[in-house]
Order: sequence, then C-alpha cells, then structure tokens
Amino acid sequence: MNKIALIIKREYLVRVKKKSFIIMTFLGPLLFTALMVGAIFVAMSDDTEHNVMIVDTSGFLIAQEVVDYKLAGLERPRFKDEDNLVYEFTTIPITDEEFKTSRHTLMVVLDSASYADGLCEFYVKKLPSLTVQDRIQEELESALEQWRVKKFGMDWKTYQSVKQGVTLNTHNVEKPESGEDLRARAGIGFVFAVVIYMFIFIYGIQVMRGVIEEKTNRIIEVIISSVKPFQLMMGKVIGIGLVGLTQFVLWVVFSGIAFTVVSALLGSAGEVTGVVNGQMPEQLPQGGQLAALKNNETVSFLLNVPWMQIVLAFVFYFIGGFLLYASLFAAIGAAVDQETDTQQFMPLVTIPLLFGFIVSEFLWQNPEGTMGTVFGIIPLTSPVVMMVKTAMGWNMGNVWQLILSVVLLVATFIGTVWLAGRIYRVGILMYGKKATYKEIWKWIRYNG
Amino acid sequence: MSYALEAKNIHKAYSGHKALNDVSIAVKSGSVFGLLGPNGAGKTSLIRIINQITGPDSGEVLFHGEKLRAEHVEQIGYLPEERGLYKKMKVGEQCMYLAQLKGLSSNEAKTRLMDWFKRFEIHTWWDKKVEDLSKGMAQKVQFITTVLHEPKLLILDEPFSGFDPINAELIRNEMLRLKSEGSTIILSTHDMGSVEELCDQIALINRSQVILDGTVKEVKNRFRSYTYELIYKGYAMDLGIGLWASFELINNTQHEDYSVAVIRIPDGRKLNDLLSSLLKDLEIISAREMIPDMNDIFIEAVNKFNASQS
Repeated sequence: MNKIALIIKREYLVRVKKKSFIIMTFLGPLLFTALMVGAIFVAMSDDTEHNVMIVDTSGFLIAQEVVDYKLAGLERPRFKDEDNLVYEFTTIPITDEEFKTSRHTLMVVLDSASYADGLCEFYVKKLPSLTVQDRIQEELESALEQWRVKKFGMDWKTYQSVKQGVTLNTHNVEKPESGEDLRARAGIGFVFAVVIYMFIFIYGIQVMRGVIEEKTNRIIEVIISSVKPFQLMMGKVIGIGLVGLTQFVLWVVFSGIAFTVVSALLGSAGEVTGVVNGQMPEQLPQGGQLAALKNNETVSFLLNVPWMQIVLAFVFYFIGGFLLYASLFAAIGAAVDQETDTQQFMPLVTIPLLFGFIVSEFLWQNPEGTMGTVFGIIPLTSPVVMMVKTAMGWNMGNVWQLILSVVLLVATFIGTVWLAGRIYRVGILMYGKKATYKEIWKWIRYNG
Repeated sequence: MSYALEAKNIHKAYSGHKALNDVSIAVKSGSVFGLLGPNGAGKTSLIRIINQITGPDSGEVLFHGEKLRAEHVEQIGYLPEERGLYKKMKVGEQCMYLAQLKGLSSNEAKTRLMDWFKRFEIHTWWDKKVEDLSKGMAQKVQFITTVLHEPKLLILDEPFSGFDPINAELIRNEMLRLKSEGSTIILSTHDMGSVEELCDQIALINRSQVILDGTVKEVKNRFRSYTYELIYKGYAMDLGIGLWASFELINNTQHEDYSVAVIRIPDGRKLNDLLSSLLKDLEIISAREMIPDMNDIFIEAVNKFNASQS
C-alpha cells in the first residue's frame, strides 16, 4: 500500500476509534437538538398558571367584550381563557394587600384615562415570562383599539385602511429577489461558514497535537527513516481532515434523525394539548392552512437557495481551507517541543481565521459590503467568507470574485503546504528547544 | 571486497556549525561496524544522512555500490537512540503499521511478527497498549520493528540502553544471528565492551571528523605500545641489571613471593630478547603483552586529537 495511504489510514482509524470521537459523534447532535428544542421551549412556554385580574373601573372593557371580535379580524373572543392564562374582570378597585392575599397572580388596573393614553398599571407577585406579558399586552391593546374606533364613530374597515403601514419591498436590480431573502440566504451561508471555521480550528489543533505527540514520543525518527517528512505531514493532515468530514457527515445525519424524531413527538403533543384546552376542533384546520401557506413561502425560499453551489463551495473551501490551515498548524507543532510553547505562533493562524469569521458575520448583516469582496478573495479568510457569498448567489457581474478566490486559495495552499513542509522536516528533529521566528526562517531557507 | 555502505567525503553544516567535515567510512558487507565518538561528535548526523532523513551538503553515499536512493530505506533498519512508540496504540497494531511502512505486505508482516513475538516470548502482548509496557518491554518491541523487514543494513544506535543484562544478551545474540545470516550492522555505542565483543571494524568520529578507523585488530595494533607485564621471582636489582639500557621499566611491584614488572620493548627488539637477558638471573612465571582495550584507545585518541586542535 502506498505509504501516504498507510499514514492516512492510521491517523484516521486511531482517531475514529477513540472514545471521545464516538461520544462526540452521538452527543454532538443530541446537544445540538437539545439546544434547538430548548431554545424553542424557553421562547414558547411559561408553564406557570397565571390568573389575571383585570380591574377596569370604567367598566368599558367588560362592555367591549360584546363588541364583535370577528369584526377586528380575530378568530376567537378576547381574554378567552387559554393554556395557562385565565382572566377575570372587576370594576371594583382592589388594594395591594387584597391582591397579595388573593389567588390572582397578576393584576392589570386601568381607568378611563387609560383608554386615551394607553397606560395600564401592571401588578405582579412574580414577574411572568415575556411571552405572557406580550400576550396580555396584545389583548389589551387590541381591545382598547377597538373601543377607540367605536368611540370616534369610525367604521372598522375605514380604520384598518387608515392604519395601513408602509413596507419597503426591496428590488435589487443586480440580484432579482427581495432583500429579506438575500439576508436569509446569507444566514444559511453563515451557518456553513461557522461549520468550516469550527472544523478548521478543532481539527487543525488536532494536527498540531499529533505532530507534538510524535516528537515527544520520540517515534518521529523511526517513522521518517521509512517515509519522507512531507509524506508524514500530508498523511496526517489528510487523515485528520477525513476524521473531521466523517464527524460532520455523521452529525448532519444524526441531527436530522434526532430533530425529525423530536419535532414529530412535539408536533403530536401540541395537537393533544390543543384539544385538551378546549379549542374548537374546526379551528384547527384553519390554523393548519395558515401554517401550510407559511410553509409554502419557506419551501419556495428554500428551493431558491443555490444548494448545489453551496455544497460544492463547502467541499472545496473546507478542503482548501483545511489544507492551508492544518499545514500551518503542523509547522507550528514541529517548531515546538510541547503544547504550551505554541502560544507565540498561534496568533499567526488564529487571527486571520477569527477575522474571516467576523467578516462573514458582518456580511450576514450587510450582504453587499465591500469587506466581503476583499476578504472573500484573500485566501486566509476566503474559506469562511465565501460560504456566505456563495449562499447569496453568483451572477455574471461578480463571478470573477469566486474564480479569483478559488485560484488564489489553490495557489496559496500549495505554497503553504510547501512552506510548512520545509519547517516541518527540520523542526521535527529538533528536540528540547523552542524555535524563534529567526530560526524558523533559517529552516525554511535550509537545503538538504 | 564488497561494501554494504560507503560514505565518501561527507560534509554537513547546520546554520554555521559544522556537523560533519569530510567524513568517509566504508562498511564491509556482513560485518559489524562500530561507529564511535563522544557525544555531539557528529555520529547522529551521519546516521541521519545514511537513513536519508537529511541530505549531505556534499559527498556521496553508496549502498551496495549504488548511489543511495529513496527505495533503499526498505533495505535499511534503523533503531535510533531517541526512540519511542505511539503510546495509545496497541502493540500488534503498531508493529503492523511500522512493518507496512517498510514495505511489507500485511500478511507477510503478520506472519513474521508472530515468529518474532514467539522468539522473544512476548506473544501475549499483541493486544496490550504500548503505554502499559515497561521501558525494557518497549525496547524489545522497537528492536523487532527494526529488524522485521530483514534489512540488508541495520543501524543500531545505543541498542543496549534500557535493557537488563539478560535482555541485553538476548539482543546481542540476535545481532550475531542476523550477522551470520548476512546482515551488515552499524553499531553506535558508548559501551566499549560490546564494541570489542561484536565489532569487526570501527570508525571514531570526533569534532565532526573521522580520527581513527580500521578493523578492531588494526586499530589495536596501531595503539600497541609493546608494553609487557612480566611476573617473576627474584631480586629487583637483578631485573634492573638485566634490563640495563635496552628496555624501559615502567613499573615494578613486589608481592610476597613474586613481583610484577611493566616493561616497554623498544623498536627493533622482541620479547625473546627481553626474556633471554633476564632468564639467567630471574625465574619468569608469565609474560603477557598489554594490549590496549577500546576504552583506552577511545580516550587516548580523542584526547590526543583535542590537544592537537587547541
């Protein structure tokens, strides 16, 4: 078997068989799913039961209830008990003391002035979640709004047409699609950029550790009496890169499975709670239709994302970026004797990488920025930045950036691998001393 | 005479420091060649050039008469002084890996490893992790991986360090067996006892140069001082008269019923001349030439060279 292939095989198998790899492969997607589901749960649910007392000394609100809620485009009456929110109304003022000893957890006090200025006093025993606050606020807002419309003798439909706001519907003449879509696409690209950034970093450091390990174990001299240092370095870089790709693919697969399973479970659970809470069964299809409509928008957006280009770019920039950075990491590993000595060289690698990450985050906010063009071409930052640019799509006007970036990245990684190889072949045989930049320069120029 | 390895006029410098200065050695096929020298003299630099880990600045290396090429690494086995193994790997796995790097097929490697493991009585170690081995155990594994591909040339740098006397003997016997099977061995060591015992030829490198080389017999002859140890019975005065101006008395020690004299015989005279001038007055019990051992030769050669340089 080819010697590089043997080295790749060893580097790959040793790492893939490690307990930490296996644990992370399964734990990663679980953590990821837990994080997503957790975030959704935290945002959506406040399972504490709230009994809200609404004290309306004017009595208008109770009268308001008779107003046709359907006129205001609502599907169900206001202040209707739901999930964990139960409303009660009174026109008699309640003192703080009375509220404290009552079974009510929240209290809103409004008087006739509130109908004009919208100021309501909110009493709490314990601050509820933002979702609950928003819910109560929305109900009050909508009720007061309808009251005002009626008071001014306005027709609800007329009011709606007066209230009509302004939407900026973006048309980019270079990219014929809406700005929102572009930003969302940049977001998708950013996710891939984060993955590239993470993997270059995690697995680049593994390459460095591997090199240091061979030096401290003193096996290096045995190995390079059988293979060329360059073969050993490339075998290590490629082997570890494949470990990274394996982990990535497994994460995608497992995350997909875990997420599907969890959301299926949550979905059916949601339907059940809906029925238990007494929602009219015939209301469900209505909600379903709405969701379907929304989904259709998402689907058409997702269909418009240039997935093929993104995947191709991902594979190219992942490999190119990894080869570039991992060989630098290997050179650093060769120049030192132990991991603590790597500090002086690490900024050389981490700063450009971090910079690319920051630029791509900035691009997400401002997709058309000049910074993106510049750092998308510079090979040290392009693997991260170009993922965002690719997700945004290419056209005849700017595709030269992509071509230039690809050519430069290939040229640079060949150059870096060569340079790192020169540092590596000398460095690995230097035991017990910490190299300086000056010394490394000598190694690079040294022949033989 | 066929040579397994010839290094001709090798020069090598590292950032201003000369590691090898016009070094030439010629290692006969099937011999054990002692590469000697103080620490930092340049032995490791030369060994690394032979292993193609680094290249010489000038000069050439011939392997069995051919210019040294990358493919030759498969015919060379190298046990470096600074040697180690991957700690987290299993012994068997690791040996298989190193054997395949030397060009053996997986099946071949496995068969040969099994033989060696049985011979060294370590067949139970196959699935053991390297980190669980003692230093001596790891050394055995390293020795096996060095010789497994049956190299024509073996380069062993301090092979006995870390071994107890029993295992050192085991390695010594293996070396002799490999030699008898036709392997050539370059042995770099500070243990002069094993040089005397094992080496046919030596080269002594000091301060980047070869300052002494040849067969062990030749070298010893070169350092022969024609000094004899004479055990006799009789008076010291009679010894003095017998020696007179023809022989140099270096030392004379009297014991209860015999004496020991150390005498140098000048050029042109023989032991017979000495004996015939003493026999009439003294009773000679034994006469033995004091041949310098490799340790003495090493020290003398290095000191002499260093003195001439300063």
